[in-house]
Amino acid sequence: MNKIFPILFLLSLSLTTHAQNFNFGAITYDDYEFDRKKIDSNANAIVLKEFGTASIQRDDNTGSLELIFEHHVKIKIYNKEGFKEANIVIPTYKDESREETISDLKASTFNNFVETVMDRKAIFTENRSKYTRLTKFTLPNLKEGSIIEYSYRLKSPNLFNFRTWEFQGDIPKVISEYLVYIPGIYNYNVSLRGFQKLTDQKSELSKECLRLSGVAIDCSKITYVMKNIPAFIEEDNMTAPSNFKSAIYFELSDVQNLNGSKTSYTKTWKDIDYELSSYKTLGDQMKRKDIFKDLIPEITKGTTTDLDKAKTIYNYIKKQIKWNNYYGKYAEDNIKKALENRSGNVADVNLSLIAALSAAGLDAEAVILSTRDNGTVNKLYPVMSDFNYLVAKVNIADKSYLLDATEPLLPFGLLPLRCINDQGRVINLKKPSYWIDLTASQKAITSYILTGKMTTDGKIIGTLTTHTMGYAAYNKRKDILRYSSPDEYVEKLDERLTRIKILDHQISNLDSVENSLIEKYEVEFTINDGTNKDQFYFSPFFINTISKNPFNLNERTYPVDLGAASDERIIINVFLPEKYQLLEKPKDMAIALPNVGGRYLFQTGLDENTISISQVLQFNNAIYQPEEYLFLKEFYSKIIQNQKTEFLLKKAN
Amino acid sequence: MRFLFTVFSFLLVSFAGFAQDNYDVDLIPSNLRNRANACIRNEEITVDMRSPDNVMLNVKKAITVFNQNGEDEARLVIYYDKNISIKSIKGEVYNSVGKLTNKFSQNDFADMSAADGFSLFVDSRVKHYLPSVNQYPYTLVYNYEIRNKQNLIIPDWNPKPADDVSVEKSTYTFICKPIDQVRIKTQNYCGTPEVLTDEKQKKTIWKVNNILAVRTEPYSPAHETYATNIQIAPQTFYYYNHKGSYTNWKELGKWIYDDLLAERKALPPATIEMVKDLVKDEKTDKDKARKIYQYLQDKTRYISVQIGIGGFQPIAASEVDRLGYGDCKALVNYMQSLLSAANIDSYYCVVSAGSEKKSMDPTYASMVQGNHIILCMPLKGDTTWLECTSQKIPFGFLSDFTDDRLVLACTADGGKLLHTPKLTTAENLQIRRADLTVQLDGSVSGKMNTVYSGSQYENQESLIGKSITEQHKLLKEAYNIDNIDFEAVSLAQKKDISPKLTEEVSINIRNYAPVNGNKMFLQLNAFNQKRSIPEIKNRTLPVYINRGYTDEDTIVYTLPDNVIKELIIGQDKSYKGPFGEYVCKASLEGNKLTYYRKFILNDGTFAAAQYNEFSKFVNEVNAADYLKLALSLKK
Repeated sequence: MNKIFPILFLLSLSLTTHAQNFNFGAITYDDYEFDRKKIDSNANAIVLKEFGTASIQRDDNTGSLELIFEHHVKIKIYNKEGFKEANIVIPTYKDESREETISDLKASTFNNFVETVMDRKAIFTENRSKYTRLTKFTLPNLKEGSIIEYSYRLKSPNLFNFRTWEFQGDIPKVISEYLVYIPGIYNYNVSLRGFQKLTDQKSELSKECLRLSGVAIDCSKITYVMKNIPAFIEEDNMTAPSNFKSAIYFELSDVQNLNGSKTSYTKTWKDIDYELSSYKTLGDQMKRKDIFKDLIPEITKGTTTDLDKAKTIYNYIKKQIKWNNYYGKYAEDNIKKALENRSGNVADVNLSLIAALSAAGLDAEAVILSTRDNGTVNKLYPVMSDFNYLVAKVNIADKSYLLDATEPLLPFGLLPLRCINDQGRVINLKKPSYWIDLTASQKAITSYILTGKMTTDGKIIGTLTTHTMGYAAYNKRKDILRYSSPDEYVEKLDERLTRIKILDHQISNLDSVENSLIEKYEVEFTINDGTNKDQFYFSPFFINTISKNPFNLNERTYPVDLGAASDERIIINVFLPEKYQLLEKPKDMAIALPNVGGRYLFQTGLDENTISISQVLQFNNAIYQPEEYLFLKEFYSKIIQNQKTEFLLKKAN
Repeated sequence: MRFLFTVFSFLLVSFAGFAQDNYDVDLIPSNLRNRANACIRNEEITVDMRSPDNVMLNVKKAITVFNQNGEDEARLVIYYDKNISIKSIKGEVYNSVGKLTNKFSQNDFADMSAADGFSLFVDSRVKHYLPSVNQYPYTLVYNYEIRNKQNLIIPDWNPKPADDVSVEKSTYTFICKPIDQVRIKTQNYCGTPEVLTDEKQKKTIWKVNNILAVRTEPYSPAHETYATNIQIAPQTFYYYNHKGSYTNWKELGKWIYDDLLAERKALPPATIEMVKDLVKDEKTDKDKARKIYQYLQDKTRYISVQIGIGGFQPIAASEVDRLGYGDCKALVNYMQSLLSAANIDSYYCVVSAGSEKKSMDPTYASMVQGNHIILCMPLKGDTTWLECTSQKIPFGFLSDFTDDRLVLACTADGGKLLHTPKLTTAENLQIRRADLTVQLDGSVSGKMNTVYSGSQYENQESLIGKSITEQHKLLKEAYNIDNIDFEAVSLAQKKDISPKLTEEVSINIRNYAPVNGNKMFLQLNAFNQKRSIPEIKNRTLPVYINRGYTDEDTIVYTLPDNVIKELIIGQDKSYKGPFGEYVCKASLEGNKLTYYRKFILNDGTFAAAQYNEFSKFVNEVNAADYLKLALSLKK
């Protein structure tokens, strides 16, 4: 028995040393000489060591519990490009009653073992906005090859999310270690996000780490370690970086009270449903049919079907309440006030819509969701702080429609692109909540039809008609409305298209967003200068030519998210002035992406005196996996190559 | 009693200002609606300089917003800091028929830091309000009063803030004591202001009516050159516990030197010794300065901190010496101190920086014309300019950020205006030579060498110091060709007063010239296509080209054997005119096809009527740049 003891002792000793902060200012020769090739030969700066601790402690002055977070970092700066790592900003939260505070901030720069300590004077705090304070500092005496080190302590009244730890940052890290002390009475749901794996994770018991009303409470002491972490680099067409950045998140599940009872925070959806349905700024607002009761007959006058009713109510709310550009799943105050002020946040607008739909006797529900820039939500258990947005869902016969009245230019049933993000949770006042897919109900559809004739001096004169639907129409409408009138829009368009003259135009359905937007232009294209009439080249790709490859890189780490599927068609018929022979022509094509991801069809023909061209470009998915990137690249490349080739026409006889 | 009376009369005035007007949108004349996204119905700005440390600004404004694009003009933004206190803000919103729909006060404003992103700290803050109105048009009416505890900077008057705004009526009143001396700069104002003087005050009133909205035209001179503007500079001033007096640049420069700079120059003895030691082997002042500049670039970096008068006064040279960082003022002042340790004279120069050239007005001295500081060394017959905020820029080179403009040099003898050297069309070069081999499948590969100089020196400077993966990414953005890949990348800099950057890359473009049947389509100009510019009818403003440049591209294509050389038809083009010159030609020698392109754009100001000629020139160049050669292949 005696023999076992020392071994055990050693083991626990090594564990404790393992989970300990490193000494400030203990710069070693190895730190200076650290070879960045070991982790990333391209790095401008590398985090050599990072250590964080978080625990819950009692503030002796106020008696309240608070979260104490300590952060300590040591960074090697390789070159001037890495100097920006020495400009540090720590955001903290504040409001009228509570605030997070920073203390014990120290920072130093080391050049060849000579330390330059940062002045207290060099620390600035800035009240960025009502809820955010920034603590900013920069390190003195910085040189290529410097090592910088800083540490601080942050106190926060927010125990709910404990403290998130980002293993991955914008520079690579050799080791990042997070030690948390969670009192036994607190139960947190912990989730690790991102592609990187933990190198190590250890749990042990820490005796009497917190004393509450004279009772000593034990803590779980957990260490999370990640080593050799690559830098996080954002790519084009990706949703929120937080979806992909490796980090550890906490959400309070329940607290065991000293009297033996238990308070649940993160609960089951059943609990959440119950709470939300009576929540003052959510469920209660959904029930405020009374506000709209008298208005509904007037709004829905003349409608016969439920769908028409829903549409008129949707249009009414769009017109009546202006979105104040704030997101939210809860009303700012209440929808009555929003209706009076004719302005409100997302929840104000859409809760009003739900209340109004219900007042008209329709089956309306709320859907809470997380926007694309906010990341995806946890599906394993409810994490309310993941949700930042609320839209309406109306069920008519056996169909349901997702509605967001914050964007006047969107048609009934189409959510703004920012909401198209995985799944949302449907909140019904009477039934249990459930998940629903948030996909775009319409593709972005564009079609161009050109019918015209070629003149003997090398011009095409004809009519170009464009139909746009879905997000394509939304974007186009937004574009047109940026000008003081459609005429001015066309004037600018004409100026921009230097080889096309717009002789006349007609834009229909600009305001009726339920219908496709139709633009009709009488146009004149210059194909060539008309000097060579007997034989000439002519490119049929004069509408929406694809000349640049949007997927031009050689590798991809994260999924490509295009938001919505799209469909673009071009049909051209040109009547030739005389009889011509088609000596050469671009290849007819039919190519597709794997797994029915998309296709490109191209076909031309000469029939009698008419050249006809038809082209279809479809992307069937909103999201493509990183391994599909090179297929997308090649798909575009094939199109670009074909679009470089031309017709060669020769006068017959 | 007097206090009561003032309050009472103020109330009366503001009531009168709000109540009497009818904000029905139909009352706006149709010519003021044309091309307008917003119309300023009435604006009354009153600046009352009661004493140098008490300047009241009262703004009353009624603006009608016609559509969403006019919202920016309705945005009410008030900057303030310790020197400015906001006395009152209130306003009202009217709907299209002029019915009151909403009222607001200071509580409805968002309050945030005015930090501009790259500052470590800025103490000025901003109050911001935009009404949420979802039905256009609407009219916003507001009144605010702020107190400036300084009179070095007097709020100026820009009655027409943007092209897409029309103005029904706007008034600017400046009140001072009859004995106060002020200088006034009047720009594009027709007529003379009304002056009312009694024993207590002198009132000067400017007015404009019915200014129409206009279309924004590309390649126009800066808005301030054709817009109405009144600026005022009092002779004696007070600013953050500093007092002074000036009527011209000489006196203003003298004040800056004596009051803001002189006390900031001292360096620790050790640093002075270090400088002396550093330059002891150098023969000329210029060589010494070059050494010191190198030291500055190695030691310091740009970090901005602006507090109080720190907007105008640098932190001490000794502080920069200790911290190793500072803003433009601090770094220039530090460099100046280092130079004086080596007995080299230099001037602290205030400049309006930016690619768009803006000069200090020689006829009107004032404090707000610059936004950056550079250093001038009046070496005998060899004036040398230094930009001190960049760790990369070559010694003696200012780049297009501050070239060719008047700057204020603040010296012990007072201020003087100096002109920075101009980067000319002939100097702003991009010279490229590529040798590419075309394969049977149309893929091309080879080497490309490009030399950048003058204002184009910085085109690819951002690549320097970047990692290989980042360089490849940036190159793919610069040469955005389908399937392009880069192999070896080398960058060499000649860092002197006329710097050059040489970029040498190996490239490979798969299927660049696609083969279709027995034809291969080759776009000869692979790398440098001039973008088209809008064609505009009825141009009103002069054509302004801020900076000229010269590009030359030579690409030698080695063609595959299966190309029938005899069938290659040249498509040579050349254009020449007041705006510049363009040549493109192709010539064949054996299996080598040489493409040559030269494009010169001249800077200058041209008559409005010449715009058509300009757009024709650029668009012809654009068309020629995309010409493809259809090469016939042997079967």
